[in-house]
Amino acid sequence: MTQFLSLLLNGVSLGAIYALIALGFVIIFKASEVVSFTHGSLLLLGAYSIARLSEPIGFFPAVLVGVAITALAAFLVERLIINRLRGAPVISLAIVTIGVDIILLTELIRRIGSDILNVPHPWGGGSFRIGDVGISENRLIATIVAAFLIGLFFLAFKYSSWGVSMRASAEDGETAALMGIKQGRVSALAWVVAGVLAGVAALFLVGSPTPGVSPSAYTVALRAFPAAILGGLDSTGGALVGGLLIGLAESFAAGYQDQLLFLGRGFGDVVPYIVMIGVLLFRPSGLFGTRELTRV
Amino acid sequence: MKLGNRSRGAVALAAVVVATASGCSTKAPESGGGGGGGGGGGEAADVQTDIGVEGETIRLGVLTDLTGVFAALGKDITNANTLFWEENKVCDTYTVELDVQDTGYVPQTGVQLYSGMKDNVLAMQQTIGSPINTALAPEYEADQIVNFPSAWSKTLTEIPGTGVVGATYDVEIANGYSYLFEEGLLAEGDTVGHIYFEGEYGANGLAGTQAVAEEMGLEVIEAQIKSTDQDMSAQVTQFAAAGVDLIALTVAPGQLASVATVAEAQGLDVPILGSNPVFAPGLLQGPAAGWLKSHLYVASPVSAFDANPETLEAYEAAYPDATPSLGVVVGFGMSEIMKQVLDAACENGDLTRAGVLTAFSELEEVDTGGLVVPIRGYETGKSPSLENFVLQPADVPGGAKVLAEAFQGEFAEKIAG
Repeated sequence: MTQFLSLLLNGVSLGAIYALIALGFVIIFKASEVVSFTHGSLLLLGAYSIARLSEPIGFFPAVLVGVAITALAAFLVERLIINRLRGAPVISLAIVTIGVDIILLTELIRRIGSDILNVPHPWGGGSFRIGDVGISENRLIATIVAAFLIGLFFLAFKYSSWGVSMRASAEDGETAALMGIKQGRVSALAWVVAGVLAGVAALFLVGSPTPGVSPSAYTVALRAFPAAILGGLDSTGGALVGGLLIGLAESFAAGYQDQLLFLGRGFGDVVPYIVMIGVLLFRPSGLFGTRELTRV
Repeated sequence: MKLGNRSRGAVALAAVVVATASGCSTKAPESGGGGGGGGGGGEAADVQTDIGVEGETIRLGVLTDLTGVFAALGKDITNANTLFWEENKVCDTYTVELDVQDTGYVPQTGVQLYSGMKDNVLAMQQTIGSPINTALAPEYEADQIVNFPSAWSKTLTEIPGTGVVGATYDVEIANGYSYLFEEGLLAEGDTVGHIYFEGEYGANGLAGTQAVAEEMGLEVIEAQIKSTDQDMSAQVTQFAAAGVDLIALTVAPGQLASVATVAEAQGLDVPILGSNPVFAPGLLQGPAAGWLKSHLYVASPVSAFDANPETLEAYEAAYPDATPSLGVVVGFGMSEIMKQVLDAACENGDLTRAGVLTAFSELEEVDTGGLVVPIRGYETGKSPSLENFVLQPADVPGGAKVLAEAFQGEFAEKIAG
């Protein structure tokens, strides 16, 4: 039972971080209809900036600046590239984001080299225990912060004028434009929000129990992809559920590796994708995605 | 004007090259009677040469990683190689020049760089990384290249001419187990959780655990991961639930840090035994430092700096800005072995590639003065050594202190083949 609860808690906390990243995918998709593959390198950029700046300017200022740098990078990608290519086929835009991702990633990997950069979280490697079940404080704080940010986002999405503009643009871009909604601005803001979420995810992702900033942090963004897709790429609520599902599935598959041995070693790594494919077979638009209706 | 200068220079250079090449092809430089003499005993008269020897200069290749994921390690090993050959000569006669190339840890780049250097080098002082060594194996074999990899996989011992610098991973971790049994940190019939990378490195380490488990009735819980997996929570949780008495690791430093923090968080107070690549001094700046200093045991082919203070001193004097890892000791050790191979070839009067390869395979009982474990010799498919040091992280240069001097554990001989 202890094992089950530990894995559950670990899965939820991991899922919360995935949800932050997946939400970024969804926001960008809704606002600019681009599937952004730049998220992995944005995440690494955030982590790298926080780690590098922590020593000279202190931890909390470094977090603020690091998150701001990530948001700025996302903003620049949107302004300098995506915005100028508006109207290009969706698939071309997606490939362009892969290109940007590779360029940014290569530079970051070169800078990080073989070092493991430590982020000096004030909560360090401490753990929080309820009976026999323990979770690292870093992950606990991550879960709380993620819940807060996601809640805040949902409120803003529903009630702020930006949220209304964004929903209107996502619903029908042309009509929204005719109604005076500046799509460029909506899209830019969406990228900035996604950048901020990636920066915050990065902050927690490189803390205990993971070892610090290394190039592999990048691969986490790839795992958030199935989370966004299975939730429904245009559903913000779906991103949250998708993130949690993937986090739990991964945690349990790795923790019960021995019981799942008949499926082969290393099964935990493929679980996110198996869950995604399984869901899409039954619900092609994802759990909460909008079904596309085409009248004949 | 410029062109004229350059072409004149080229002609002059070509003339020099032709002159030296013809000078060395059949007859090596005279070592000048009493001038050379000394320990190497190389009379160097009538030493045959072919590729990679010009006059009194031997060229050796280095395919290292200066910009990729193993850049820090690559720099340490390469700096040590360079420093060693600045201070040593083959047969007291030949100086050694290194042709250092950066693969960025990409096998394809390694293959290209090798094809660029292969007509100019006598042997390979260093090739970093199992994938690149494996990719180049057919060429090294065809070109009769003697090569020292900075990896310890058993498959590398299958490549003729490739000299693994110490015991292979399976023997290494088995020696680690021997130490733990002797110290009473592990007992017959205990349970062990082993996390290992998919691929040759992990498989070879796991094979060591399995062999020991068979002898000592250990129960082994295996957890395979990818090198990109960073969070070891689920695996350690699984181990805690199974009540393991030891965590064995054949992974990279990042995963070790994660294992240590999760084990501490979950109160899983058991020793951690690691293959030599698991530890990096950088970990002692992270949150796992305290736990590692009291719980980690690393089976290693090289000693720590506290046993080699002069190595550290020389290195720090030459590279004052570097924070040296134990890669430095590996670098000095592999250069020392190369020196012994080349000295032997020179004494045999045959510094051709074939001659060097023969000298390499005839090598026996190599002693590097305590840098690397004693090497019994290089036989295809067999671990070159049966011994290992056991190190533990500590706040000293290089990040580790010696717990046990080089020793041969009870399981080593059976596993080594």
